[in-house]
Amino acid sequence: MPKHFFNLPSRRNWHSWMAIVLLAACSCLKVNAQETDGTRFFRDRIEPVLKAQCYSCHSRQADELQGGLRLDFKAAVLRGGDSGPAIVAGKSGESLLIRAIRHEGDLVMPPKKPKLADKTIADFVKWVEMGAPDPRDREPTDADDSKLVEARKHWAFQPLRRRELRAERREGDKSKSSTTQESSLSVLNSYLSASSSPSSRDSQLSTAPGKRALIRRVTFDLIGLPPTPEEVEAFVSDEAPNAYEKVVDRLLASRHFGEKAAQLWLDVVRFAETEGFEYDRHIPGAWRYRDYVIDSFNQDKPFDRFLVEQIAGDEIEPESHECLTASIFHRLGPVRRNAGNTDIALSRNEVLTERTDIIGSAILGLTVGCARCHNHKLEPISQKDYYRLQAYLAATEEHNLVLATADEQQAWEAATKKGKDEIARVQKLAKDATDAAQKDQLAQQIEELEDKLPAPLPTIPATHNDFAKRTAIHVLKRGVWENKGEPVQPRPLSVLVADDVAEVSSGETQPRSQLAKWLTSPNHPLTARVIVNRLWQQHFRVGLVKTPNDFGLNGAKPSDPELLDWLAATLIDNGWRLKPLHRLMVLSAAYLDRTPTLDRPGVGVRATTPHRLSAEEIRDAMLAVSGRLNPKFGGPSVIVPVDPELVNLLYKPSQWEITSDVTEHDRRSVYLIAKRNLRLPFFENLDAPALQTSCARREVSTHPPQALELLNGTLANDLAQSFAKRLERECGSDRDKTIDLAFRLAFGRAPTAKEQAQSAVFLREQPLSEFTLAMFNLNEFIYLR
Amino acid sequence: MNPRTPKIHSRITSTRREFVREACCGFGGLALASLLHDEQLQAAGSNPLAAKPSHVGGQAKSVIFLFMAGGPSHVETFDPKPLLNKLNGQRRPDEFGEAKYQFVHEDARLLGTKRSFRKHGESGIEVSDLFPHTATCIDDIAVLRSCYGDSVVHSAAQYELFSGRVVPGFPSMGSWLLYGLGAESQSLPSYVVMPDPKGALEAGQPMYAHGILPAVYQPTMFRPGERPVLNLDLPKHVTSQQRRRTLQFLRGLNESTLDPANEEFNARINAYDVAFRMQTEAPEVFDLSREPQETLDLYGIGSEPTNDYGRRCLFARKLVENGVRFVCVVSGGGPGNMQWDAHGDIEENHLRKAAETDRPVAALLKDLKRRGLLDSTLVLWGGEFGRSPDAQSPTGGRDHHNLGFSMWMAGGGIRGGRVVGATDAIGLKAIEKPYHFRDIHTTILHQLGLDQHQLTYPHLGRDERLTFLEGRVIREIV
Repeated sequence: MPKHFFNLPSRRNWHSWMAIVLLAACSCLKVNAQETDGTRFFRDRIEPVLKAQCYSCHSRQADELQGGLRLDFKAAVLRGGDSGPAIVAGKSGESLLIRAIRHEGDLVMPPKKPKLADKTIADFVKWVEMGAPDPRDREPTDADDSKLVEARKHWAFQPLRRRELRAERREGDKSKSSTTQESSLSVLNSYLSASSSPSSRDSQLSTAPGKRALIRRVTFDLIGLPPTPEEVEAFVSDEAPNAYEKVVDRLLASRHFGEKAAQLWLDVVRFAETEGFEYDRHIPGAWRYRDYVIDSFNQDKPFDRFLVEQIAGDEIEPESHECLTASIFHRLGPVRRNAGNTDIALSRNEVLTERTDIIGSAILGLTVGCARCHNHKLEPISQKDYYRLQAYLAATEEHNLVLATADEQQAWEAATKKGKDEIARVQKLAKDATDAAQKDQLAQQIEELEDKLPAPLPTIPATHNDFAKRTAIHVLKRGVWENKGEPVQPRPLSVLVADDVAEVSSGETQPRSQLAKWLTSPNHPLTARVIVNRLWQQHFRVGLVKTPNDFGLNGAKPSDPELLDWLAATLIDNGWRLKPLHRLMVLSAAYLDRTPTLDRPGVGVRATTPHRLSAEEIRDAMLAVSGRLNPKFGGPSVIVPVDPELVNLLYKPSQWEITSDVTEHDRRSVYLIAKRNLRLPFFENLDAPALQTSCARREVSTHPPQALELLNGTLANDLAQSFAKRLERECGSDRDKTIDLAFRLAFGRAPTAKEQAQSAVFLREQPLSEFTLAMFNLNEFIYLR
Repeated sequence: MNPRTPKIHSRITSTRREFVREACCGFGGLALASLLHDEQLQAAGSNPLAAKPSHVGGQAKSVIFLFMAGGPSHVETFDPKPLLNKLNGQRRPDEFGEAKYQFVHEDARLLGTKRSFRKHGESGIEVSDLFPHTATCIDDIAVLRSCYGDSVVHSAAQYELFSGRVVPGFPSMGSWLLYGLGAESQSLPSYVVMPDPKGALEAGQPMYAHGILPAVYQPTMFRPGERPVLNLDLPKHVTSQQRRRTLQFLRGLNESTLDPANEEFNARINAYDVAFRMQTEAPEVFDLSREPQETLDLYGIGSEPTNDYGRRCLFARKLVENGVRFVCVVSGGGPGNMQWDAHGDIEENHLRKAAETDRPVAALLKDLKRRGLLDSTLVLWGGEFGRSPDAQSPTGGRDHHNLGFSMWMAGGGIRGGRVVGATDAIGLKAIEKPYHFRDIHTTILHQLGLDQHQLTYPHLGRDERLTFLEGRVIREIV
């Protein structure tokens, strides 16, 4: 007999022993006692082994379920997996599980681990012989998932802590304790004052050098351009107590505000106007999305509305061009198209993957995409969660809305048909041709004909639901579209909703509206936190959470959780308006305080080191100071000339159709085409994102090709010439005046006596355009203090 | 439960200074800092491209990738299949299984080859008559006959070949190596791509790019002609003397206005110094006029059809000789038939492409060897896939084919004169020791002393690496 039958119960099991003894004493039926005995045996001897050795591959927690077998509830064990039932109750010799742990057949379990102890194997045999008693009657749910339950306690999945900001008061601090009557700014400032240095703030606000640096910084931060010398001087000489507030309010009201604010969002949603991959097709009218974002930020559209429009614009207002333009959001990812046999299901899967993952990164701030192939290894996101999220998009299809009259459309279609017929004719010739040279020549002719097809009519490349084409969404084993597992319907991520929340019915006619509604609920723990953190990062270089696209268990912890939640709550309470938040941040003590060392960890997130401008800001600043900036707003994207060798690297060089109106070439960088397969070297060298995946934060790298770009590049030299001409125009041959104006335009200050002297010496021998080129290359031009 | 582990899994880099520390000392938590001397650390601190120690030794220092774009046929080059000739014109027997193709349909017929194979060298490896010159180097070459990838279309396959992913946006091999090892040369770009001047490839520039890595690890694209590097030339209206003076002026102003102790600004001043050095020193490397005639002849420079590829192969040798880390020499560009993409007529296409490249490729191997550079230079040859055993067109073309094809490696510690793996009897599928692109990547990293698990960069919650899934070192050849 197995020895353990005679063992005394361990201390831990004493209570259950007592229960059994009591049950027996109460003259319950003997059979019941036996069942309980078997159950106890299972709980003590079998379940712990299953949990420790098997669940990682054979339960709902498995990253990737192996062999279709689950061992975490009774029915699943009896049903078995791909190889049949795991056990046959009462017959250990016929039970696959027993054979596997005994290493008797092809199946050897647990894999890649030492064989289980003989004693443990004997327990399993005994258990099966006992009839495999198993009290686990129902399939485990989320509530049984201890990992999930624990993960829900993670700070970012908890509701916002709506507490007043309270700071420890300094000795002698006369300010009153914060009350609800006080403005958000004074609440924030009194909170920050605990650790900030008033003298540093004062020097920013009251000394001339401080004010010059401040207006330069805040102007770049809010509109992405340098302040004009007039703006600088007006601020320096304005002694009103609210002089700085006036500057901030002017900038927030500027139409350039949206151009700067948009770039952050465009980075996050990996905005590009072409599809990438082989054809890198230009999506007609994709630029409308860029204008939509700029306009939305300029109007201070509530952020929740902004998200709803992008996710479900076509559902909520199918007639509104604005909402349809917002839905271009779903069209922004790279799309692979190929000639010949196309695997429609595979392509569809790729598109849905792009559209799902970006919602995770951009809005939720979660690395949802990792759960596509297996349960997330680091986050409480199951594969099922992933596909449930994808299921909201199951019916989402491309829908190009042509903005033209019926006559225009007819004419366009006729011209297109004519062109296509001609192409078809040549294609037939090419197909029948036997001579390779002739084939090549015909292939080239086809390309030329394709280039001559009429340009697309004005279009909104929107999305809509097509329920007839709706993709059936399954959990896909290893993310491979052919390996269809359990079918799923839309449902939010389990970790963020109550266990009893059901899947959205398959009859739902506005599935994305449901998604948007969930994401923008005032109770959603992530959406508001994620966006306020992005804004904080914009103004302070580092977010309160240093991983702006990852608020999960694996992301960084907030450096100041109280402040983050307060900001998020403030956003929601102010109707999700972002401008007041920008205002709050740049007026705050943290923004004004330039003391480099701060011991209080929570607020050590203020920017104190010099910050390099982005590629776009540097280009825009060079345009601005050289007097060439074309301030026009909106409209189709501009294609500027680049080195022909780079254009020839495009598979279809004819795509780089340079904008004929040269004044357009001097527009702000946000209006230059975002083409995946040809980025401007200037942008590439200065760390502009690759336009392929979400960019949460710009890298800053410093390397020789950057120096070569700014010294020898066409753009820098061309604009240096213009800058020189502007100086000549405005200062004539007066060298001192020239030097003075150059410094004021480029850096917002007059030159020092030493700089004046150095410059004068230089200009005695060197051309003015070399002087202006040097201005562009100076650290002070490229960095903000 | 505490799921938080102190890893740099999520990017939290906040300043360049932190980045430098991370880039130089922080691969996946590997603390190199303690191994580095202060001076080295300081050097690395102001220059992210400073040479860095490898993870575990490694024999190779540089890689030259001879990229046969479009996909050369394995059954016409390194993988003889007598049965294929016997079955010419017949339906593919069911026993070989199915294949998904971009153009070929189910009713296709098998296509035998007109090439003949002969054993070469002491190793007696069979090479087709397309490559008489390469065949003379066969004892230095390890032929991989069992390569496979995941995509049968150009763009996705090209991304996978370069970056381990079938989607764009991830760093290419060259960027990873630069990130891992830094640069040996401070006066030349360290990762160079020499595209075929005849035109572009399907995957475009993102294939070669640094993706999620900082721009410092970007490739330098060589342009055709005498002055291959963009922005290395002064603008026409400026003399070198003038520019030198401008740089002095710039330096003087920079030093007087901003904190000279700031690491970032030092890095910038350093970048300008290196840029100036590149401007003056690099053109010497690009100058082939001082090469002996014997060398030019060896590469077939000055005669057609080898002149162009020969020149670029000779550049490649000169670059690795000067410490450049990764050079990609592309054969093929523009419309399909200008690449190895022989949909229409395999004979016409491959005879032409082989004639352009065979002599230069062999010359490169011989030249590296006689200069003692082959031991430290790993040469990789191949395309993004092979070609179908099935005929695509009545004129004898072949479709793309990713299920089994040949590539080869030589030098950098790779053991030559070997054949690894095999496809089935008609060259349809890799059946013996199949090796994926990720295995080739792992092997390259291994030869350079880098570990796929340590060479990582955090992006959107993952520690991204070159081998998306875990790769294996091809032990048979190292």
